[in-house]
Amino acid sequence: MSRFLFVVPPLTGHINPAAAVAAELTARGHRVAWAGVPGLVREAAGHDAEVHPCAIPEGLRRPPELRGAAALRFLWQDVLVPLAEAMAPDTENAVRVFRPDVIVADQQALAGALAAERLGVRWATSATTPAEVGGAVAALPRAEDWIHGLLGRLRERHGDPGASHDLRFSPGLVLAYTVAELAAGHPPRPQLRWVGPAVPARTPAADFPRGWRDRARAAVLISLGTVNTDVGARFLTECAAAVRERAHRLQAVVADPGGFLAGTSDDTVLVLPRIPQLALLPAASAMICHAGHNTVAESLWHGVPLVVAPIRDDQPFVAGQVTAAGAAVRVRFGRADRTRLGEALDAVLGEPPYRLAAQRLRDSLRAAGGAGAAAGHLEALAQRA
Amino acid sequence: MTNCVEETGEAAVLARITRALHTVLGDCAPDPGAVTMETRFVEDLDLESIDLVVLTGELRAAYGDRVDFPGYFASLDLSEIIGLTVGHLVRHVVESLR
Repeated sequence: MSRFLFVVPPLTGHINPAAAVAAELTARGHRVAWAGVPGLVREAAGHDAEVHPCAIPEGLRRPPELRGAAALRFLWQDVLVPLAEAMAPDTENAVRVFRPDVIVADQQALAGALAAERLGVRWATSATTPAEVGGAVAALPRAEDWIHGLLGRLRERHGDPGASHDLRFSPGLVLAYTVAELAAGHPPRPQLRWVGPAVPARTPAADFPRGWRDRARAAVLISLGTVNTDVGARFLTECAAAVRERAHRLQAVVADPGGFLAGTSDDTVLVLPRIPQLALLPAASAMICHAGHNTVAESLWHGVPLVVAPIRDDQPFVAGQVTAAGAAVRVRFGRADRTRLGEALDAVLGEPPYRLAAQRLRDSLRAAGGAGAAAGHLEALAQRA
Repeated sequence: MTNCVEETGEAAVLARITRALHTVLGDCAPDPGAVTMETRFVEDLDLESIDLVVLTGELRAAYGDRVDFPGYFASLDLSEIIGLTVGHLVRHVVESLR
């Protein structure tokens, strides 16, 4: 029996894969605890999860219009560094109380990496997005230098100033919840393990009207994920219009948490605040999304090809990878209209190579082992001499 | 030395970069007259950093080794990338060709 402490940021997309791995470790007889925001952790990991509460900065909200390098600068300077500062004391405290054999630090919860090196605890990185692993920023060397500078100052205040490794990558083990095919050109790291998606054990329920689906038409899912609520109005409107122009052969279910399309549902386009994505994917023919890693992985898990419209952060990287792998058509989030979106949909629905590529990736993702493989690597790390 | 003035002047370079942008942006290309020296890569053209890699390839085809594009993009810090305009790139090309 070993003890594992998961250190997570207040982001559902980062907590979910960790929760799947934590559940697997628990099932194998290990003890698991968390350092993070209790409500969010318990939503994913269950109400009996042992959570050591961490302070987080007020107003961790990024202006939705920021994109590209401006979004990158804001993410590091105004989100990840303040988050690490706020979480560091509580995380250290959690380590002292829980006494883990291994700390599993989310790549964006740097407090976990800092506590591990300060207190001399073995640790692993949980890389929920493939962009860092894939070296997305490394193409911009001065941006990479700037990030190193921020990490160095964090280390002086909260870590072990004598250490020299990159805080984003545990020297012992990095778990990447994807496959190497979706991180082509990544820098080699001997401690990197591709475990594929760690599919959450529990899926949030969402209402879906019985009898709406028309099996004679192909189903398209449209989602911009959970963090792009403010910017989707134009894009979702154009998507719905493209589908309605093909109403004789298509239906679409649209996730619209911002309520932009509220009241426009008909028998071709169904608009819901949240959609039961995992339940609908097995019978879906295409997915239109922002190329968030979780959404892309879930779609490919079912062999469903995509139309990707990346907005920011790791999304351009993920979109580039899945497009290069042949399973998606990329469109521009800010510019694509109903004509362009319709053409992209026609391509992924009508040209077999897209579906075949998606099915190849499905096989690869499913063979990677997921939460079980991740748990196995963590057990091995705990037992390493 | 064999280049005539029209090829290496600002207007000609702007026209060549605009053509390269059309290739990079594909179906979402801007109207021909819409790209100016003040056009911003990210905010106006919706260009991502991965597009810069493709753009680099396009421009290498146009200018060969006379202009070091990877070196230029690599020399930019974050605030320079955020504010990058077509004009910045045009002036870099013009200076390199001089």
